[in-house]
Amino acid sequence: MYYSNAILTLVVTPLLSAPLIYLIGRLFMRTGRAGAASNASQLASLLALAGTWKAYIDIVLQFNRSSATALRYITGSVPLQVDGLSILLAGLALTLGTLVVIYSRMYMRNEDGEEKYYAMLVAMTGAMIGLACAADLFNLWVWFEVMALTSYLLVAFYREQKASLEAGVKYLVQSAAGSSLVLLAIALVFMETGTLDLYRIGASAVGTPLMLAAGALFVAGFGVKAALVPFHTWLPDAHAQAPSGISAMLSGVVIEAGLVALLRAISALMAVTLSWGVLLMIFGALNMLVGNLIALKQTQVKRLLAFSSLSHVGYMVMGLGIALHAGTAAGATGGVFHLINHGLMKGLAFLAVGALLYALHIAKGSHNPLTISDLAGAAKRYPLATLALSIAVLGLGGLPPLAGFMSKWQILVAGVQANNRLIFYLVIFAALNSVLSLGYYAPIVNAVYRQKPSAAVLNGSSLPLSMQVPMVLLLLAVVVLGLWPGLVQWLTDPAGNAIMATFGGY
Amino acid sequence: MFNEMNVLMLGILGLFAVGLYALLAVRNLIKIVVALQILVKGAIMAFILAGKINGHMQTAQSVALTVIVADTMVAVIGLALAVQVKRRLGTLDVNELTSLRG
Repeated sequence: MYYSNAILTLVVTPLLSAPLIYLIGRLFMRTGRAGAASNASQLASLLALAGTWKAYIDIVLQFNRSSATALRYITGSVPLQVDGLSILLAGLALTLGTLVVIYSRMYMRNEDGEEKYYAMLVAMTGAMIGLACAADLFNLWVWFEVMALTSYLLVAFYREQKASLEAGVKYLVQSAAGSSLVLLAIALVFMETGTLDLYRIGASAVGTPLMLAAGALFVAGFGVKAALVPFHTWLPDAHAQAPSGISAMLSGVVIEAGLVALLRAISALMAVTLSWGVLLMIFGALNMLVGNLIALKQTQVKRLLAFSSLSHVGYMVMGLGIALHAGTAAGATGGVFHLINHGLMKGLAFLAVGALLYALHIAKGSHNPLTISDLAGAAKRYPLATLALSIAVLGLGGLPPLAGFMSKWQILVAGVQANNRLIFYLVIFAALNSVLSLGYYAPIVNAVYRQKPSAAVLNGSSLPLSMQVPMVLLLLAVVVLGLWPGLVQWLTDPAGNAIMATFGGY
Repeated sequence: MFNEMNVLMLGILGLFAVGLYALLAVRNLIKIVVALQILVKGAIMAFILAGKINGHMQTAQSVALTVIVADTMVAVIGLALAVQVKRRLGTLDVNELTSLRG
């Protein structure tokens, strides 16, 4: 059990260090020097994340050396597992979490309660890592709830702003109602099978009416967090009103973590019905269409990006649905590849928009939303941020040499290879949606590069280095993954195989 | 007819029905937080019933305790938000929270 310590460290470090980060921040606040509290809590966050990174790298090395599909480790009565999907989600959460901690240095400076922000951010990262590693239905729910609790507080962080409060209330009510439905579903599964372990449930689940009801409740409950379409109405408000670093986390990993939780839960109920694949494909089509159509009429940039997250969840769900329905591992691999790419591209887009929002509004103490017309001609004054934003949105729109194209292409190819007429129509629908999405991405690029600078841009303040470094790193990642998509095959192949293995081993 | 299983089952259904109805019908933010609590209480009773049926009562009880802790935290955050909403907007009516649309 040489890897057991590493798994425990990976899951526990961020959660245990979150209260310490808060305390350190409070202690340094007593010294009364300007910025002491924020420097201290940010440094403590980075140290905690560094410890987590070390455990993560240990586990990845062990995992690649062993031939097992999942490393399992039971501490007390809490079973943990590390398979391809956990490594992928934990890696994405850690990457974005670390970059957002660096990014928030100036963005959050002098906000009231800055030390709470860093503590919550680290706790949220830890909760997502735990969710990725949970091997027990109830633990899955507990991690899910911790992630939700921290994100409620982060969404409503600007508590003097009416809009933030409103977004926080909507998010809390919908998400809490969803998680109580998940809890009922877990109770039903427990009633029927007498166990909470995902593997043993998968072995004994049969299609009784109670299990079918549990499956439906799982889809509705986790669907709220994963933003499947009829349950998505909290998403644009929450993602647009949160501080920009948090928007990047919410859009980049939190909704994907909800999707992974949904996958884990229904993978245990795989034998209950044969229609999971079809259900996921229907949700995929709905998400793509609704997300794109509403995004087309948005004028605020952050709201537009939030709606585009809906359509990208659609692509992931569609890839996974193709994989489950037709039994092709390529669909699952494409789906998780899009999960990584969307995390990086949407993270980059929100960080770039946040940098511009900071320069044009927040540095002057105003909380007005950033509109597309504010961005007119911003390329002259902010070349790096606007380049990052343009590359990110063009990648999201799926232009060829960028990361988003590669994963969309992989999903579409998997769909064509499935040799099924309905899936073929779905592939055409998805490709058309991808073109439609350029209808709202292109105006941003156009405004940034081809219009006369607006008054807001001319009066804007300069961008600090702590915002530019994370943007440059993510920008490089998006371009490099587009040119050499094979670089993350060591992540996506095991994750795709893990999904196929949990869904009954095709 | 009136054995304890049936009473528990009716209790679960009743709590979920009341909770979902209240979520849809009630406009006061604090009452909405109460409605969320009622929903989760129904789920806790479902766990107890499940433990009773399949004989794993210890697991069911430990799960129930964990859920009580977790959903208390949701209630705390919900009420904290309600306090802020009352301070900034001067009302607890959720129908007044309509500045974000489209």
